[in-house]
Amino acid sequence: MRPILLSGHERALTQVKYNSDGDIIFSVSKDHVICAWFSANGERLGTYHGHQGALWTVDVDSRTTLLASGGADNTLRLWEVKSGKLLKTWDFPTAIKRVEFSPDGTQLLAVMEKRSGHLGAIHVFDVNPDPEGEQTNEQSLRIVCDESKATVAGFSYLAKYIIAGHEDGSVTKYDAKSGEILHNIQVHEDDMQITDLQWAPDRTYFITSSKDKTAKLVSTNELEVLKSYTTDTPLNSAAITPVKDYVILGGGQAAMDVTTTSARQGKFEARFYHKIFMEEIGRVRGHFGPLNYVAVHPKGTGYCSGGEDGYVRVHHFDKPYFDFMYEVEREQAQASL
Amino acid sequence: MASKLENNRRTDWAEDEDEEDPVALPPQQIIKNKDGTETIITWSIRDDGKRVKTTRRIRKTVVKQVVNPRVAEHKQWPKFGAEKGKPIGPQTDTTSVAENIAFRPTANWKAGTEDKGEQEKKKANLKDAKIKCRICSGDHWTTKCPFKDTMAPEGDPTPAETIDDVPESGSLGQGGSSYVPPHLRGRTGGAPTGEKMGGKYERDDLATLRVTNVSEFAEEQDLRDMFSRFGHVTRVFLAKDRDTGRAKGFAFVSFADRTDAAKACEKMDGFGYGHLILRVEFAKKAT
Repeated sequence: MRPILLSGHERALTQVKYNSDGDIIFSVSKDHVICAWFSANGERLGTYHGHQGALWTVDVDSRTTLLASGGADNTLRLWEVKSGKLLKTWDFPTAIKRVEFSPDGTQLLAVMEKRSGHLGAIHVFDVNPDPEGEQTNEQSLRIVCDESKATVAGFSYLAKYIIAGHEDGSVTKYDAKSGEILHNIQVHEDDMQITDLQWAPDRTYFITSSKDKTAKLVSTNELEVLKSYTTDTPLNSAAITPVKDYVILGGGQAAMDVTTTSARQGKFEARFYHKIFMEEIGRVRGHFGPLNYVAVHPKGTGYCSGGEDGYVRVHHFDKPYFDFMYEVEREQAQASL
Repeated sequence: MASKLENNRRTDWAEDEDEEDPVALPPQQIIKNKDGTETIITWSIRDDGKRVKTTRRIRKTVVKQVVNPRVAEHKQWPKFGAEKGKPIGPQTDTTSVAENIAFRPTANWKAGTEDKGEQEKKKANLKDAKIKCRICSGDHWTTKCPFKDTMAPEGDPTPAETIDDVPESGSLGQGGSSYVPPHLRGRTGGAPTGEKMGGKYERDDLATLRVTNVSEFAEEQDLRDMFSRFGHVTRVFLAKDRDTGRAKGFAFVSFADRTDAAKACEKMDGFGYGHLILRVEFAKKAT
C-alpha cells in the first residue's frame, strides 16, 4: 500500500471528506483554505478561498454540487463544488464546529460553539440544491443545547432524526422536524468529549469516538451501544468501512502534548478494528502528529486521514485488506458456497 | 596583440564566472528511454547549500477504468482557486507518494507487534552499546564468541608462552601477584586442576586454521568448497559485518584432522582468491 501524500495545507488538518462517489476528497485545515483533491491520484482540483479564520468542518452534498464549510470566523459558507464560487455566507455569533448535509442534500445542519454568553446550538437550514438558485437567510430549525454543548451532529436515515454528540460524552436524538429531544444516553465516560460521529452507509447506526479512548457503535433507533472499541490513546475520529466489517480509529495524544514525546510513543497511527469482534487487527503508520480525522471511501476501497502534521494521506487498500477473515467468517463463507 | 587576446579571454572567463550563479539551477530534464520509461533529472539546493541532483526513472502505464458518468464529468472540470491554469495531473508541490506501507490485518494483532517492539528495543540497546568482541572483533560479546576457546584475543601475545615465562604463577605467595586465576592454576605443575569455563564450546583448536585477507565478497560456502579438498571440514566461520552483510576479511576453518589442516595450511597459504592472496595460518590458542 503506497499512500498518496497531499501537502496542500500549511496547518493542521481538521476534517477530510469523500464525496458520495468517492472520487473527490475535500480537506479543511486551520489555514483558512478548503482543498478539493481527486482521490485516485492525489491531483488537486482546486481551492476555495474566502474564510477568514481556521476551518473546523466541511461537507459535500450527495450530488457533489454544493459544499458547506464552517470555521472559527463565525461563518457557515456554501460553495459551488465545480467552480469554487462562494454562494452564500451565514453569520453566527460563535464558531461553527460541524456541518452536515442531509442524505438528500436539501437540508444543512451546523453545530455552533458555546462561547461568551452564547449557548451551543444546532442550526438547520433548508438548502436550494441548485447552485444558481437563491439561498434562504433564515434557519428552519434551531436546537439549543443548554445542558452540555454539542460537538458533533448528523442527520439519520431519511433525515428523520438529528443525532448529536456532546461535550459530556452523551448522545442525544432529536426529532429533525420539531427539534424535540427524543432520547439521551450517556455513551462515553462522563465529561469526556465526543470528538467524532460518522455514519454507517445506511445511517441506521453510527460510530462515535471520544477522548475517553474508546469508540462506540450505536444504533440510531434505540440509541443502544452495540459495540465498543477500546484503545490506549484519546481518539479524534472513527469511521466505519463498507465492504469489510472494520472500523478505523484515529487519534493520538493531544496536540499540545506532542512535543514532549517521540513519534513512536505518540500513537499517531490509524487503528483498524474488526467491527464485530471488536479486536484490533492492524495499524497504519505515517503521520507524525495526531490524526484529526479519518474518512473512508464510500465504496470501501480506501481511506484518507488528516493529521495535525498538516498532511492528508490517501490510502488505497490492497489485497490483504480484502482477504482477511476470521476463522469463523471463513467457515461461514465456505458453508454458504 | 597577444596581450589583447589575453585580455579578451580574461573578460570572457570573468563573465563565465558571473554566469555561474550558485543559486541558478539547471532546468528539469526529461529523457525518454528506449524501453518506454522516462528519466527525470531535477536539481535542488539542500539546506546546507549543496546542490542535489535527483534522477528518477519512471514508467507510465495507462490504466483504463470504467466509471460512473458523474465521476467522468468531475475529471473534465477545469481547475480553480490556487490550481487555476495548472496542467492536468498531480502537481509535485502538493502531491507526492509516500513510502510503501505493509498493511496486513491479522487476528491477534497485538501479540505479534508487541514482541517485535521488544526485539527492536533490544537491538537498539545493543546498537548503542557498540559491542566488539575482543577475540574476533565481531559485534558480539566476547563470551559469545564462537572462537573464545580456540582463539586468543586479537593482538594478544600467545597465552601459552606467557604462562611458560612465569613459572612461579602456580605457587602462592611468590612473585609480584599472589592471585592466580582459576584457569591458570596448575598449568605449570603437572595435571591441570583449574576448572575451565565454557567447556561446552571446547573444540579441537589444533585443527583450526585462521584465514585472513579474504575478499569481502566471499561466502562461507566458497571457503568450505576450497578447503574441503584437503579433508573433512567441520566448521567454517566467516566474520561478517552486521550492517553491510559483507565479509570482514577473515575466517576460521576447522578440520576434523590435524594433518589435513596442516596440508591445507601449506597449500592454501598464498592462494589467490577473489583478487586477493589468502594468508592461512594455524589459529592461536585461546586462554
